[in-house]
Amino acid sequence: MIQDYLILSIILFCIGILGVVSRRNVLIIFMSIELMLNAANLAFIAFSRLHLSMDGHVLAMMVMAVAAAEAALALAVVILLHKHKGKLDSNVFSLLKG
Amino acid sequence: MFADWLFTGFSILSVLGAIGLVIFRHPMNGAMSLVITLISLAGLYALLSAKLIFVIQLIVYAGAIMSLILFIIMFLNVQNDDLPNEKDRFLYLIGGGVVLAPVFFFLKKIVQSIPGTEATIVGNGFGGVKEVGLVLFKDWLLPFEIVSILLLVALIGAVVIAGKRRMSK
Amino acid sequence: MEHSVSYLGLIPLFPLIGAVVLGVMHIDTCTRRKLPEKLYGVLACIGPVISFIYALVVFFQLKSMPADSRFLIHDAFTWFSVGDLHITMGFLADPLSSLMLLFVTFIGSLIHIYSVGYMAGDENFGKFFSYMNLFLGSMLILVLGSGPVVMFVGWEGVGLCSYLLISFYSKDTDNVLAGNKAFIVNRIGDLGFVLGMAFLFWAIGSGGFDYLSLRENAHQLAPGIGLTICLLLFVGACGKSAQIPLFVWLPDAMAGPTPVSALIHAATMVTAGVYMVARFSFIYAEVPLAGSIVAWTGILTALLAAIFAMFQRDIKKILAYSTVSQLGYMFAGVGVAAYSAGIFHVFTHAFFKALLFLGAGAVIYALHHEQDIWKMGGLKEKMPKTYWTMLIGALALAGCPPFAGFFSKDEILFSALATGHTGIWIIGVTVAGMTAYYSFRMIFLVFHGTPRNKESFNHAEDAPGVMTIPLIILAVGALFAGFLNLPALFGGNLNVSHWLAPSLADHHPHVGISVELLAVAASVIAFAIGITVSYRKFGQGADEPEYSGFTEFCYNKFYIDELYHAVLVRPYKAVGSVIWKFFEPNVTDIHVKIATWLYQKAGTAFKVFQVGYVRVYAIYMVIGLSIMSLLLSQSLN
Repeated sequence: MIQDYLILSIILFCIGILGVVSRRNVLIIFMSIELMLNAANLAFIAFSRLHLSMDGHVLAMMVMAVAAAEAALALAVVILLHKHKGKLDSNVFSLLKG
Repeated sequence: MFADWLFTGFSILSVLGAIGLVIFRHPMNGAMSLVITLISLAGLYALLSAKLIFVIQLIVYAGAIMSLILFIIMFLNVQNDDLPNEKDRFLYLIGGGVVLAPVFFFLKKIVQSIPGTEATIVGNGFGGVKEVGLVLFKDWLLPFEIVSILLLVALIGAVVIAGKRRMSK
Repeated sequence: MEHSVSYLGLIPLFPLIGAVVLGVMHIDTCTRRKLPEKLYGVLACIGPVISFIYALVVFFQLKSMPADSRFLIHDAFTWFSVGDLHITMGFLADPLSSLMLLFVTFIGSLIHIYSVGYMAGDENFGKFFSYMNLFLGSMLILVLGSGPVVMFVGWEGVGLCSYLLISFYSKDTDNVLAGNKAFIVNRIGDLGFVLGMAFLFWAIGSGGFDYLSLRENAHQLAPGIGLTICLLLFVGACGKSAQIPLFVWLPDAMAGPTPVSALIHAATMVTAGVYMVARFSFIYAEVPLAGSIVAWTGILTALLAAIFAMFQRDIKKILAYSTVSQLGYMFAGVGVAAYSAGIFHVFTHAFFKALLFLGAGAVIYALHHEQDIWKMGGLKEKMPKTYWTMLIGALALAGCPPFAGFFSKDEILFSALATGHTGIWIIGVTVAGMTAYYSFRMIFLVFHGTPRNKESFNHAEDAPGVMTIPLIILAVGALFAGFLNLPALFGGNLNVSHWLAPSLADHHPHVGISVELLAVAASVIAFAIGITVSYRKFGQGADEPEYSGFTEFCYNKFYIDELYHAVLVRPYKAVGSVIWKFFEPNVTDIHVKIATWLYQKAGTAFKVFQVGYVRVYAIYMVIGLSIMSLLLSQSLN
């Protein structure tokens, strides 16, 4: 059933959120975001199959392109962070503290 | 039903891989378990008759992007001291799970209200390179070109951000 | 529709476009090189002249229509629409507004041409003409507006321009103060106008809020409401037309350049109040009591201003008070329901008062900004053109037959007498004598006798042609404008009154020819006495008198300015300072202070949540998402 695919995508998405909010390692956070993107992709493909239309496939490809761009930028940020502080801890940055 | 078995197997693998990602302390372990998820997702795409996406998922995601991430992890030469001390991460994970449960059930409720069909594999004429390519270059030409600009910007941005020499101040 | 013509909207538009173009040009270039004055001058005169041509077109089109349906309208667009109130930006040309239109554009154009000469060399040449064009455009909106609201737009526009132009020489603080005074006094009047308008709408506005609809519904007014509306509108008219008690601004307004005094404070703007009362004549006709109040206020203003004018020494102040005095006549005219007589006096007054002011401007120009008549004298030989034109103006002002002022003033006085307002008539005749006295006092002191200041006398000469030609044209107007409305006694047929009749609710009493003769004879005798006394005292040259006792009291305008200052301005300032020192910090500001204190404390309390870790903010977001999901899944079932 198509719903099974969608539920799987929800599960993966929730795990992705969990990774973002509960981990401090910036690399893990980043990979959790990739996981969320993939969950969204799975939903796209599943809907595409449901309606027998290939627009979802195109969108999935767009998401991949965006993910690639995001990977390039996010990894650049990670490198900069490591260069500055020598750490991979997101708690090192608390400039927003009130 | 062979396909059902495959679906069950791939979904268990992908969920396990995702759970591994958020549990392992060292990013290298996390990355390897993410690779498992990505590959099993590729399998699921194949089950959904998305042949082109199946291939791209393997080549671009599991191949290119993941090797980039792994390369960066190794490039940074992450020592144990560099990693944040996350002894309490299981507490956070459980708490997060509790908070996220309503979200999950809400989405699940929505999904179950959708009239579904059997995900039988569709043969020719769906999801292949030719068909997706026709859609892509007919209906989605403008977004496609915009994405190319996005990639160019990201490329330049990454060079500018990561390529900075030591801050002068 | 045959009554709808689209070019009506263009008439005010041309000067307004001119104002914008000139203003932009001036702003763009004032800090850099100057544009040639000829360019500004030509651009400034184009707008008024085109408007005048269109005014002629309107006039002849109206003339070709049957007498009982002479009106043209043009609704440009719906301005706003709230409930019953539908205000269109509409223009209405009927006999009344077309007459106003003709002389406003005609005299406006002449004064623009004159100003090109008078203002030559001024560093703000462009700014001046931008304001002048804006003023003329506003005045045309005022005259042409199809309803009270559109009229109010023009009303405020001329008020603004008068402020801008009075304080035009803004480097001198006195001029700025005079501008402020004019603006503030006008504002008091405007309040009356706005309130009157609101009452009018509340009473009969639901059937349409333009003159034509209001006129049809005027009979529904309850007498008390009608009186209130009339008096409130009259307060507005008092402010604009400088009547008791709001006349104090007009003499001070002479601080502006002389063409401004001519255009605004003599020929056009100050007549707006009279025009407004005539416009609403259909309401005033319903309430005779209001008319009497208007008439008495007018005639008392005329008397008071004439007394002041007799003792002034500044040539422009004399003319200013004579304007106030003549405005008083006009109100007396409209007050006794002789609307056409009042409007006709507006019409003739525009000619001779503009003429006198422009002549005075020429004198001041020749004497290098000397305004004191006790320092002039004998200018007749040096400035013949100015002398003869001003003499015509003064004769018209004094009401010498057969000049313009005689017929219009006589018409008013006759109407007062005929309607049984004998008191008004007696005062009016007295004021006529005083008018003759002070206008010839001015002429004798300026042009006759021996020069009191040799040096400036030797340099004086007639102004250039661009200034004298308008003077001559206006002098011709001052000579012959009166013949347009010859009463039957002199073999005429009251052309102007008949022309205006459809727009106005005129009341023509039938009295015998003896009454008419009495009125004429009294006016002529008063004029003769006035001019004789004046000649006795000043004709052969006179020495500067000492101001003392009563004359000093009159010269200082009965100390009315000081009285207003003591009774109104100083208490107002005192109240202001009490509010500033006590009320504001302890009553109004305290709320603000409490609010800021609360926000500070709340901020401190919520600071706890701002831990600074982005991850925690993500957690907040997820918690919000979760709560939202809970609520939504409740409602999903």
